[in-house]
Amino acid sequence: MTGPLPPLDPLLHQPARTQLVAYLSGRGEATFSELKRVLGVTDGNLGAHLGKLVEAGYLATAEAAAGPRAQTAYHLTDSGRAALADYVARLTALVGLSAGDATAPRPVTEPTPEPRS
Amino acid sequence: MPDPQQQIQAIQSMLAAGHRSVHLERHSLLMIGGVGGFLGVATEWVITAERFPDMGQRGLALLAWLAVWLGGMALAEHILTRRARARRAETLPFAQAQVTRAWWMLLGVGCLASCAMVFHGGGGMVYALWTVLLGLGIYFYGLFSRPLVEWIGLATILLGIVGLAAGLPYGATRWLNAACFAIGMPLAGWLNLRYGNTEPVRRTLVLAGWLTLVVTPALLLARLPATPAPHALGPGERVLRLEAGARVPLRLDLEGPIVAADPGAGLDLTLARPVEVALRDGRPDGRYRIGDGPWHAIHDGILYLRIDRIEPRLAGDGPEVRAHAHFGGAEFEGDSR
Repeated sequence: MTGPLPPLDPLLHQPARTQLVAYLSGRGEATFSELKRVLGVTDGNLGAHLGKLVEAGYLATAEAAAGPRAQTAYHLTDSGRAALADYVARLTALVGLSAGDATAPRPVTEPTPEPRS
Repeated sequence: MPDPQQQIQAIQSMLAAGHRSVHLERHSLLMIGGVGGFLGVATEWVITAERFPDMGQRGLALLAWLAVWLGGMALAEHILTRRARARRAETLPFAQAQVTRAWWMLLGVGCLASCAMVFHGGGGMVYALWTVLLGLGIYFYGLFSRPLVEWIGLATILLGIVGLAAGLPYGATRWLNAACFAIGMPLAGWLNLRYGNTEPVRRTLVLAGWLTLVVTPALLLARLPATPAPHALGPGERVLRLEAGARVPLRLDLEGPIVAADPGAGLDLTLARPVEVALRDGRPDGRYRIGDGPWHAIHDGILYLRIDRIEPRLAGDGPEVRAHAHFGGAEFEGDSR
């Protein structure tokens, strides 16, 4: 590596949480049931991820009419959107750094001279 | 540690999934298809000239028939869609709500256009139709943009519909259409940058200003005489005046694969009002005026011939075809009936 690694948000640097945040960025808001269906995770797994993101202030909740009973719908907060944008930017920089290392010229290694008899 | 490239692709995939959350339910396809197909077949069996001899009643009956079926279908589809989403414990995406509104707007314009065609021929309403289409395009943009754009789209649609319903002359609808495009669109862009997200009261005032700046020039230009009166007659030019009661035979050249008219066949018409016709070298040059009204040209689109119904019947001495038609112009209606 020829440059420093950009630090990545540990909260978002987890596949399920990244996908969850990305989906809400496009969808706007979604209920627990919909997120579970889209992400294909268990109730406990999803609940844990949502709890961490809400605690960090990346997600907020609101009551939404999505059935006979009002359900909780999750949506990204402004800080959540900013965090996702920053995470994507750092990932992109990381990909660029990795690509740069792959094209850098390798140091020339001189052949080992044969021992004199 | 997850591969960064794979992470980015996963993010893009989930972003796209979130954006494309609009879902056309199976019941929607069945309902739209069923009702649309039924109306396409049954409407001309139900709304007939025999059942509604009066053209005005026929137009309103058609509008009511379409509105009841399409409106009822749209409402039922909307309710069933919300229930389907509720069963899946999903909220209705913003995009789906806006697409639904756009869909209802298209159905509404379709109903009104069908009604308008009873009263106006296609050629007579072409400019109003283009004004409505422009309004629809702006409205659709506005559904996913700033509220002022949506309001300007609605106002443009209404200009097209109200202009036609109010009996604006053909030339006026042409100027109005041109003004909506040439003045309305650039002005909408300029206003949107400054007042796109403003609060409703101020937005109403901005819209009123937009309407004034678009409609006023169009109506002023429409009042200008499109055809110059033959004041200074040059060599070979003269004006022929035909008094009310004068006989003007209509010679009919009718040909086709089914029937043909005898040479010289025609109608004996009698003028109900005096008519002046400009002649050049002994032949009409297209300019005319009814009574003491303004001069027009034949291509101004003022006059129209509307055939209300054609009835084949058996008369005493054999078969005959009776046609009921109306020949006139919007500015000549009223005391001629």
